[in-house]
Amino acid sequence: MSAERIMRPLSVDPTKLVVSGLLLMVCVIGAAFNERFATWTNLTNVIEQSAALGFVALGQTLVVVAGGIDLSIGALVSALSVMIGFAGQAYPEWMVAIILGTVAAGAAVGAVNAAAVILLGVHPLIVTLGTATILNGLTLIVTRQPAGSVPEWVEGFAYGRVLGFPVAGLLMFGCFVLAGFWLTQYPSGRRLPAVGGSPEAARLSGLPVRKTLVVAYALSGVGAALAAIYFVARTGTGDPLVGEPLTLASITPVVVGGTILGGGRGSVLGTLLGVFLLATLNNLLNYLGVSTFLQWVVQGLIIITAVSLHVERRRDA
Amino acid sequence: MIELSGITKRFPGVKSLDNVSFSAARGEVHALVGENGAGKSTLIKTIAGAYEPDEGAIVFDGNPVKWAGPGEAKAAGIHVIYQELILFPELSVADNIYIGQEPLNRFGFVDRRALEKGARAILTRLGHSLDPFAKLKSLTVADQQMVEIAKALVSDAKLLVLDEPTAVISGREAELLFATVRRLRDHGVCVVYISHRLEEIFALADRVTVLKDGKLVGTRDVGKISRDDLVAMMVGRPLADIYPPKRLAPSDTPVLSVCGLKAAPRLKDVSFDLRPGEILGLAGLVGSGRSETAHAIFGSLQRDAGDVILDGKLLPPGRPDQAIARGLGLLTEDRKGEGLLMNLEMSANVSAPTLQLFRKGPFVDRAAERSVAREEIARFSIAVPGPAADVKPLSGGNQQKILFARWARACRRVVILDEPTRGVDIGAKVEIYRIIHDLAASGVAILVISSELPEVLGLAGRILVMKEGRIAGELAGEQADEESIMRLATLDAAPEAA
Amino acid sequence: MSGNAIFVPASKAPEIRANRPTEVLILLGFLAMLVGIAAVLSPAFLSASNLRDILVQAAPLCLVAMGQAFVIMVRGLDLSVGSLMATVAVLATAFDASSNLMIPVIFAACLAFAAVVGLASGLLVTERNVSPFLATLAMMIVLQGTRFAYTQGSPSGRLPDGFRVLGTGQFIGIPINVIVVVVAAVFLGLLLHRSAVGRRIVTVGGSVRAARLVGIRHKRVILLAYVISSLMSGLGGLFLVGYVGVVDNWVGRGFELDSIVAAIIGGVALSGGVGTVAGALLGALVLVVIFNIVVILGLPVEFQLIIKGFVIVFAAAIHIRRTSAR
Repeated sequence: MSAERIMRPLSVDPTKLVVSGLLLMVCVIGAAFNERFATWTNLTNVIEQSAALGFVALGQTLVVVAGGIDLSIGALVSALSVMIGFAGQAYPEWMVAIILGTVAAGAAVGAVNAAAVILLGVHPLIVTLGTATILNGLTLIVTRQPAGSVPEWVEGFAYGRVLGFPVAGLLMFGCFVLAGFWLTQYPSGRRLPAVGGSPEAARLSGLPVRKTLVVAYALSGVGAALAAIYFVARTGTGDPLVGEPLTLASITPVVVGGTILGGGRGSVLGTLLGVFLLATLNNLLNYLGVSTFLQWVVQGLIIITAVSLHVERRRDA
Repeated sequence: MIELSGITKRFPGVKSLDNVSFSAARGEVHALVGENGAGKSTLIKTIAGAYEPDEGAIVFDGNPVKWAGPGEAKAAGIHVIYQELILFPELSVADNIYIGQEPLNRFGFVDRRALEKGARAILTRLGHSLDPFAKLKSLTVADQQMVEIAKALVSDAKLLVLDEPTAVISGREAELLFATVRRLRDHGVCVVYISHRLEEIFALADRVTVLKDGKLVGTRDVGKISRDDLVAMMVGRPLADIYPPKRLAPSDTPVLSVCGLKAAPRLKDVSFDLRPGEILGLAGLVGSGRSETAHAIFGSLQRDAGDVILDGKLLPPGRPDQAIARGLGLLTEDRKGEGLLMNLEMSANVSAPTLQLFRKGPFVDRAAERSVAREEIARFSIAVPGPAADVKPLSGGNQQKILFARWARACRRVVILDEPTRGVDIGAKVEIYRIIHDLAASGVAILVISSELPEVLGLAGRILVMKEGRIAGELAGEQADEESIMRLATLDAAPEAA
Repeated sequence: MSGNAIFVPASKAPEIRANRPTEVLILLGFLAMLVGIAAVLSPAFLSASNLRDILVQAAPLCLVAMGQAFVIMVRGLDLSVGSLMATVAVLATAFDASSNLMIPVIFAACLAFAAVVGLASGLLVTERNVSPFLATLAMMIVLQGTRFAYTQGSPSGRLPDGFRVLGTGQFIGIPINVIVVVVAAVFLGLLLHRSAVGRRIVTVGGSVRAARLVGIRHKRVILLAYVISSLMSGLGGLFLVGYVGVVDNWVGRGFELDSIVAAIIGGVALSGGVGTVAGALLGALVLVVIFNIVVILGLPVEFQLIIKGFVIVFAAAIHIRRTSAR
């Protein structure tokens, strides 16, 4: 009995196995084809580069598990990065406060998204699309070019190392671990899949559905904020277009990792694996000299393959 | 235990409850009956705190209360088990039982071991052995209901409301449920029990309250009232025979022959014949494979093996369109989810399977559709504003009649009816039975699937009983009674027939 | 359909049929009001030449929005429209033709290509149960990558002059673009609202399960919706290229969002089974007029985005109010 109990939380679902397998495959191919691939430096590079994607993918996972979707992530990252850039240039001594303020701002925007979904009854797809468009507009009005600057020490966030590990990567990893733990062990976190999977049942069971949604979207906003901070740390300025590819990019690892877009089921671990797979793949393709264009094709094919594998066979004709 | 006085609740355009007073005591099973639309559901939701009454007062356990939401009522000890079970299919049994009130350990996160122990304890108390870690969606409906009841016990329910619990279970599972209800009552829990099935009320309840059109008709002791009186109270008039006279032996050549039908996961081996003008009943416990049989024949469920022969020719599997073209129709169990086309008007619902008959070139002849719909409205006395009306706001009985009109029109050879009077009130039920009778009289072969034994017995000339995916036996004439059906449906199979 | 229009629980009953003529009239009224505002701000707005320009400008979006409406009606989404428009444009120039006689050939080839893409997306959705969001997203990315890889970032090749004529020319004073839109609208409108095929589309959109149970072959219906959307995208791409006169890899950028917005403004519900072709058309016009108002007001182009964002949310909210108030 107790052996069974121990094994249970470890029961791995096929998706994660597949993704891990692919990851392994990519690493092996990489190591075989290019000696610069399998180096420590490269590994830390990959981790570093996946930090932004990791932050937003984590946020997206939480929202999707709660039954929604957040298409405003990319726009929010851009907006926040510009905000940091300008504020950092004007008040460099307040940098710490600015960073905290950014996180708060991200959470606030997320909360607004959730509020619109709840109060207006509009589909999250549309609400977050609307928010994204508005944010894009606002950001571009402020500046069309990268602008602003931040004190040098901020760059440590992107390039710093702790015991040889990239700071950003560690932070991202830490966030994933915390989130995974919260989602499965804490009542407040377990509400997310409950609300996402059966919203009516959740409501009638007396679960705080509204609060749960607000928390989920707010956390997604926080993820966007962290990604924004990372980008600013990397380039030293804010950039109104930096987040553009991130919205759709944030969905890929989520889907590849096995979280179903319908809500109620999902795994933070799966997303993490997905993030690594995509980052490593990216890295490998770069080393192999594959053009960006073909990388796009590969990315699209991966999405298709990953999702097709999740298919639950239906008995209907 | 609970006392509602003078409750009135209005919704846009309708007074759902009109000055209703209701009380139920500790350690009592109090039945709540009434036709659909009588207000039972609204009353329950008011008790549960999901609705706030516009007028009137509620006193619970001696204190006047005014709940802001279902959470508060639940905290006070009121637990409702709705027909659509409020469970989370993706979570485990234990998770479901403890949802919202998980035992925590000192770090603030969920104490898995306590969860499991607690779940096992409760389930044992109920007399059930379910794996607490099983995912809810893997359980049968009856077991899921048990989980709901376990939820109630965990939250120390003082008042338990059961909304048509036997709509989706029957036979032995229902017996287990009754035993559980009695056990709860003996422990002092107040149970409010809603059901259309009068036999259950007489078997289980201490008192019964009748609602009609949002008003209270009366409350009686079950021991002091007869079944006919109760029906009269519900319908407002005495009812003569509910079931039309049975038909005589139909002709010999079967119109439909089913051989060796098999479809995973539940259908193992089903064979039978159906003759024109015959009403064949298909009885059995929930989960015995009756609906699967229907869908496998119709083509909406993929067959693994077996043949279906209609009018002497094979019917290809998985092609509902072909079944319909050859005159075989299926009226499904779930009229709201699978039967009615909610986004189309009434006339489109009637014409749906036979759309090609209403074509004028590539276009649809709406005028013809509507005129046909008008005929059906008259024929079946459907209470609907007109052929262009929405179907969503109609009552269950009228919605069902629309579906009958659809299939009676579309299919002239065989019609399979899956739970034809589920959620339909007594008055409409009688009309539907007449419709079925007339259909058979016109030569259509009918297969009736029903969990309501009196209905099967009342309608069918011959009854097949299914058990665990196979036909356990066939009953006809005087042999057919509730006891013999249940015996076939539940006893372990005798030496296995081939 | 697992992975159906995401986040719309399959059990949620689709919205009650809204009264179609009323919906369209309300939209028309809204559009008229917007035009009125524009006229007040700039009297030149109502001039024939300006109106003509606006209609020509709006034409590709109208086509794509109408196609998108079909896909949304069967509980799907087509995110590949923009990318498909660009790919079709690139394909057209790949012929490197200068003779106007080649135009029908180019059209046929491009539309055939578009149809194949639509078929592919549709098959992913019906056969592999991939959610439409992901299937068309993936398609969009694959098309993008292929297109860029082929052109190496800079498309080249010629288009026959006739293309420009199609994109900007007139026929008895009415721009050809507009004629095509009107013809398409009439055709699609009749298809959706009057024909048996359209009835099947609406039925499937309301509930796939219920549609199957009345004998509809739902997979074919869904495939058809995706093919229609792709054909409209292809058509839109060809006309856009004719209008702009130049091919670049980003033709049609933003159309996926705009076409969805237009359809939603037009009353097409994400939950499926509800909507009108006229609505999508008017929705597209509403968007274009709004953009023009922004320009007239002298506001930076980015304001278009802000307004678009608000419009999309509130239009959806209003439609939901209307259909659930019943």
